Amino acid sequence: MPPIREHLVEAMQERRVIVSNRLGLHARAAARLVRRATQFTSSVEIIREDTSQTADGKSILNVLLLAASRGTSLIIRTEGPDEERAASELVDLVEQKFGEEISDGLF
Amino acid sequence: MASSKTTRSRDVKLLGLAASGGVAVGRVLRLDEHGRYQFYYIGITAGQVRNEITRLHQAFKEARVQMEEIQDRLARELGYKHSYILDAHLLMLEDKRLMTELEQEIRSRRINAEWAVRDVTDRAVEAYRHVHDQYLRERASDIEDVTTRLLAILSGHAKFDLSKLDEDVIVVACDIWPSTVAELDFNRVLGFATDAGGMTSHAAIIARALRIPAVVGLHEVTRLIRTGDTIIVDGGTGEIILRPTRPVIRQYAEKRKRDVARLAIPIAQPSEPAETIDGVRIRLRANVELSTEIESLALFGAEGIGLYRSEYIFLNRLPELPGEDEQYLIYARLAEATGEAGASIRVFDLGGDKLTLEGYKEEQNPALGLRAIRLSLKAEDIFRTQLRAILRASSHGRLRIVLPLISTIPELRQARAIIDLVKREMADRGIVYDAEIPIGVMIEVPAAAMMADLFAREVDFLSIGTNDLIQYLLAVDRANENVAHLYQPLHPAVLRTISFLVRAAKSARVPIELCGEMASDPIHAIVLIGLGIRTLSLAPASIPLIKNAVRSIELARVRSLIKDAMKLASAAEVEEMLARELPRQAPRFFAAWPSRG
Repeated sequence: MPPIREHLVEAMQERRVIVSNRLGLHARAAARLVRRATQFTSSVEIIREDTSQTADGKSILNVLLLAASRGTSLIIRTEGPDEERAASELVDLVEQKFGEEISDGLF
Repeated sequence: MASSKTTRSRDVKLLGLAASGGVAVGRVLRLDEHGRYQFYYIGITAGQVRNEITRLHQAFKEARVQMEEIQDRLARELGYKHSYILDAHLLMLEDKRLMTELEQEIRSRRINAEWAVRDVTDRAVEAYRHVHDQYLRERASDIEDVTTRLLAILSGHAKFDLSKLDEDVIVVACDIWPSTVAELDFNRVLGFATDAGGMTSHAAIIARALRIPAVVGLHEVTRLIRTGDTIIVDGGTGEIILRPTRPVIRQYAEKRKRDVARLAIPIAQPSEPAETIDGVRIRLRANVELSTEIESLALFGAEGIGLYRSEYIFLNRLPELPGEDEQYLIYARLAEATGEAGASIRVFDLGGDKLTLEGYKEEQNPALGLRAIRLSLKAEDIFRTQLRAILRASSHGRLRIVLPLISTIPELRQARAIIDLVKREMADRGIVYDAEIPIGVMIEVPAAAMMADLFAREVDFLSIGTNDLIQYLLAVDRANENVAHLYQPLHPAVLRTISFLVRAAKSARVPIELCGEMASDPIHAIVLIGLGIRTLSLAPASIPLIKNAVRSIELARVRSLIKDAMKLASAAEVEEMLARELPRQAPRFFAAWPSRG
């Protein structure tokens, strides 16, 4: 695994997280992620580690287009005054399967 | 162009095609642009850029308000758990990146907001189509949903809630699409009047199924009338009257009373068998377009589904394609709902005047173009996906596969080879399916009709699709008002062709059935039975009426009547003869049946 940069470049946070909920980063999960991301002042980038595809974490269309299914490794990169809190809360959200395992996945 | 004075004048009479009998008098509900939204490409000047961007922002704001209202209602009616179905929709409307991209599009390309929205979201939808995960791929519909709403707002169409009308209305529209019909509150709809369409337009078919008066092919009714105006629809003569005066209303109210009395023909009960007086059993099956119709099958006494028009799954969906799992769920439901009687699934009849797949251009002559099986054989991945879904669902009941618009034996063989291949792949993967699933062809092309004896050797059943067969046999587009009078189901050529098909099927010992509008008309249905057809598939709501017609006839007598009919020179002669003879043969039924024209 490549090393994760942390505090290497000033004013930037990078964390790696694996999507672990059953349906991956689908609409509702992505919506939660984006909602949370927009609450921070810092910029939020979400990067697929395998393809390096980068999304603006505050844009639902961008995040959806990552099409990250279960098992995808994501890098969450935040930059700004609340970057640390942003990074750790967003990582938590993904790790906790977006707050709940959405049961039927029909929507 | 009529002046504004004449467009508001009273007792304005228009003549269209009489699509569904009966008289209706009521207030107009005008639907705009058949429930889809039209939008245009407009080049704009530099000075208009700001205005377009303002419109864009306003549309986003309005869409947000609407979505929030819908979300509130979902939360109230379904509980909080379901309300965030729309979270992604709302976020899209708050997506700054999307807004920036749209603004740039308007500025740099100098186009109107509608076109920018369409272009940008099309690209997003397109990107989605390349996603490997099927579930995620299907989320493109969320984007489409938001896009449709934005376009509706931008184009100035208010979203009308059709499911909860609070007064009786006569629906007036350019055309009425099944997806719109699915939203209509039927208890409130007294009649239809449309600009477009012929006897087989959706509006006409649906109106007949619901026994609602309808006139279609009126060209300009939507231009001449507004919501709230009074209108008379005479589905027997094809006349409509805009803003009628009192004496005219009185006159038609009288006519309506007489019509209702004549049409009050006893309707057979679902429990009664469709059996002629001399004991010949006729199977009446249902033509189904919307899966919501499944519930009505038992109500009308349908013996399974004779024709499931699978392309309707695409409605409101293109360019997104329904995935295998989604199709599987629908087909499995059909299989389960129809039990022993089973369901025949006609594979996608796309192309032509119906829905077109992305990447395929509009054609000069769509009726003779790349449609139905021709398109399926070309877009083989779509065909295979559908076949996998049908085969998987076949383990839930009795499904059959029907191939539409086959015109050559090699086409049939090619389709069968693909089916066999898909079967083998599934068997290798250990997926359960009905290995004996019957495969049949629709006989719709005269060439296939002439080759029916050879087709019969290579299929499990033949199914005659009269709507297309008549159109191709008589070279008449029924939707074209200029030649609609030449669309004659009782043309002796049609009768002879059907008779030939029945004999070909019989000598090959292969079952033959018939589906099409013809089967919904009692006189036509009796003719078909006289020609030797024993299984008819028709609109579920017409089944009780046809069953009653069947129960009123003696087959032996009808058969000799039809034999004579085939020797006559024209449809008019056939009709005249039937009008003379049938009331004698089946007085209980036909004495009450209104004579035509």
